[in-house]
Amino acid sequence: MRLVRMALLALLVAVMAYPLAWMIATSLETAEGPSLRYYGEVWQAGPFDRYFINSLAVAVIVLLGNIVCCTMAGYAFARFRIRGGKFLFLLVLSTIMLPKQVILVPLYILMQKMGLIDTYWALTLPFLVDPFNIFLIRQYVSTLPADCEEAARIDGAGEFTILFRVVFPMLKPVLAVVAIHTCLTNWNSFLFPFILTHSSNMRTLPVGLAMLSQGAHSIDWGHLMAGAVISALPVVAAFLVLQRRIIGGLTAGISK
Amino acid sequence: MATRRLVLPPVAWFLLPWAAVYAAFFVFPFVFSFVLAFLDYNPLNVAGTRFVGTENFARLFGDSAFHGALRNTVLFVAGTVPVTTAAALGLAALLRGAIPMKGVFKAALFLPSILSVVVISLLFKLFYAPGGALNEFLARLGIEGHGWLTDPRTALPAIMAMDVWAAVGYYAIVLDAARTSIPDSLYEAAELEGAGTWATFRHVTFPLLKPAIAFVLVINTIRSFQVFVEVLVMTQGGPLGSTNTLVLYLYDTAFRRLDYGYASVVAYAVFLLSGIFSIVAMRRFRSETAVEGARPL
Amino acid sequence: MMPSRGARLVVAAAVLALVACAKKDASDRAVVHFWQFWDLAVIQPLVDEFEAQNPEVDVVVEQLTWATGLEKIQAALASGTQPDLCELGSTWLPRFSYEGVLEDLTTVYEAERDSFLMWESALWNGRAYGLPWVQGSRVLFVNRALFRRAGLDPDRPPQTWDELLTASQKIGELGTGIYGFGQNIGERYVLYKKFMAFAWGNGGDVFDESGTVVLNSPAVLEALEFYLKLAPFSLQEKQEVLDQYFKTGRLGMQVSGAWNLKNYKLEAPDLDYSVALVPKPSADHGSHASFAGAEMLVVFKASKHKDAAVALARFLQAYPQAKKLSIAAGSVFPADRAAMNDSDFTNDPRVRVFVEQSLTSRTTPAHPGWIEMEEAIDRAVEESLYGRRAPRWCLDDAAKEVQEIAARFPKK
Repeated sequence: MRLVRMALLALLVAVMAYPLAWMIATSLETAEGPSLRYYGEVWQAGPFDRYFINSLAVAVIVLLGNIVCCTMAGYAFARFRIRGGKFLFLLVLSTIMLPKQVILVPLYILMQKMGLIDTYWALTLPFLVDPFNIFLIRQYVSTLPADCEEAARIDGAGEFTILFRVVFPMLKPVLAVVAIHTCLTNWNSFLFPFILTHSSNMRTLPVGLAMLSQGAHSIDWGHLMAGAVISALPVVAAFLVLQRRIIGGLTAGISK
Repeated sequence: MATRRLVLPPVAWFLLPWAAVYAAFFVFPFVFSFVLAFLDYNPLNVAGTRFVGTENFARLFGDSAFHGALRNTVLFVAGTVPVTTAAALGLAALLRGAIPMKGVFKAALFLPSILSVVVISLLFKLFYAPGGALNEFLARLGIEGHGWLTDPRTALPAIMAMDVWAAVGYYAIVLDAARTSIPDSLYEAAELEGAGTWATFRHVTFPLLKPAIAFVLVINTIRSFQVFVEVLVMTQGGPLGSTNTLVLYLYDTAFRRLDYGYASVVAYAVFLLSGIFSIVAMRRFRSETAVEGARPL
Repeated sequence: MMPSRGARLVVAAAVLALVACAKKDASDRAVVHFWQFWDLAVIQPLVDEFEAQNPEVDVVVEQLTWATGLEKIQAALASGTQPDLCELGSTWLPRFSYEGVLEDLTTVYEAERDSFLMWESALWNGRAYGLPWVQGSRVLFVNRALFRRAGLDPDRPPQTWDELLTASQKIGELGTGIYGFGQNIGERYVLYKKFMAFAWGNGGDVFDESGTVVLNSPAVLEALEFYLKLAPFSLQEKQEVLDQYFKTGRLGMQVSGAWNLKNYKLEAPDLDYSVALVPKPSADHGSHASFAGAEMLVVFKASKHKDAAVALARFLQAYPQAKKLSIAAGSVFPADRAAMNDSDFTNDPRVRVFVEQSLTSRTTPAHPGWIEMEEAIDRAVEESLYGRRAPRWCLDDAAKEVQEIAARFPKK
């Protein structure tokens, strides 16, 4: 039975891996035999180093913003009696349900009026507080005992101190989920960065890659796949290094 | 310093960043979008903006391109979400218990979901092409090749298959994680009663996973309704509009045809439809407990 | 903890000084933002040359892509972040002329009109809004090795529709995985360019001289019916797949552009192929028409440095620069007529065919609604190719749609 399951899993993994293996093979297959030539040419055509830096900067800023802002909001929703708090939290939930594309056009007009098109501001500001993260943190905080906070309050600690010195360290498991979710979403997001930037200096990796694929009248398959591999490499590397934590983090966040 | 801070209660400070971002980048655009829906607004000729009442809404009913996009999107959602969920459940069941190399399997299954949709779409655009991996594989089996993305009958199904490929591993891991919270004693009891694999799944795993399944269904439905990058990269809505989706149509209406007012109406249609679908999905699998978990990409 | 008042004053003064310096610097130099579609490696040397000659001008170059460039330019205009100088495809330009966002370049046009090709798309209501920079036609690519295998004479590429059909059939019958002809399908901006070559060659058109839609005329219908006859022996795919198939020797013929010359030289040095004029209906009827696209330079009305932008446009457009660009890019030719007699272009037999083809090539109508009109033509051809409906009905519908689009753009 276990062997059957193993075989089945191995087969499925092979099916999953086949397109990726083909992508790598195609990127190495040049007219003069296997080589990394396409990689060099694509890297130059990019500038992929710049795309990488942009992606990284945006991911880090958005991640920090979400960790700080969502922790504050989630904690507030979980621990404080707020007038109209239920309604506010319902608002948070409703935003999770809403397709972001609904606000694409007005957000674009807004950014244009504020003169923020084609800046890091446009790439980060609207994404600093993801309602889904607020929801996650609120749910998690509700399951924690309030003893430590009360003790700190009796000791005369301010609310900010309580949150960031006492509660924050206890949020590690849920913050891991928040971090994974935020990083993946932002690292891979395409539509908004694509619309909100113009210059090659501001492009993120997915936007740069899409641009590369449409650069000339027609692009060679090898170059295209080399670009795809280059864009995928950083996340894959990060994933392979952190996979236990990532999958474990998801598990902890879900099963409490 | 401390006295200054107390002018507002701490709660207000805690909620302020969220409220500011929410008001500026969500409430405002949302309301603005509603206003735009009643205007004829060409961004190259703002001075010529006109109030057109409900004309943009009325257009929706006679617009065959919109109807096509709606049909394709509903097909996409109805075709991928159940398949992905069922396949993810199957995978989660396969991952149960102690098996060698479990970590490797999990990592391999999870891998596609960390890749950006752009990478995946470019890859599959060539993967499905004549001369691409799929057709070469079929040729080895003696099956004649096919331009999967240039045939209006197969283009959308091909993109749907890609979506399942890309998403299933993630949901399998989520469901597997939820399943670990089912006590082993239940499985042992089922085994003692002589329940087979299917019966165990039917009477133990499935009922207890219902909340997690509801979560996966809702999240995947919302995500699938927004399918856009895939078609922009792979087919641009063609051939013959067979892969035109609501969000691609919204994008084209706004940014190619510069018809911002009508684009806002399309946006609201996407919003309403995905809301209805999510509520239906949630109703079917409703449960008392709220489920936590990570959202997909 | 708090910085002292004195320290703050010093900081403020320093910031003010910096701002003042920056301002002064900016007022001395004109910064021209230039959006274009070439690899920076190709365009930057020319821009550097211009900057060296015009020390008071700084040029900031950005690269767009053909697949999404139109949306980006329109979005930039909408947000007021448009560049000063911009490269536009000739099929896109009329919409911008119509909306009144382009600087009137009629005086330049009057000075240059006789020395350049491809002005058609720049003219609107008797004024000129763009300058032709480079141009490119589509020609027939012929795989000589497959011609030999199919018993055809590789030195005599098809001249007429009949010969094209026969050759396609013979090559298509060589075996599975080998196709006689390539037909574009399933993507934007490409399909109509290939089909209209046959329609134009047969005397058909989108509008007649009086502006009446004649897309469903017998001449166009005949061309579409012939195009359908090629279908059984054709690979129907996207451009990059067709180019890939031709490159790997599995496609007998296709109508494609000069970008392949460069690509095949690098990626398939052993490929035995030639190029020829697009075949005409028969020896005694019609012409070797094809699609020609130009890349135009426009200056936006809102630009603060119009003079510098026009100067840069004229510099780039001038023959020495346009020639350097064309040779470096390897996919286009200067719009300057001088290219027609330049041995650097006419010595290579393949390149010579491109130059020759451009003399009988056509441009699309200069209509602000063209982007939507071409989609209507694409749909008609695709519907016929997929066998959805008879070609006649497809063309009737397309003609009706073109009429409706035209009605949405009243003369201003």
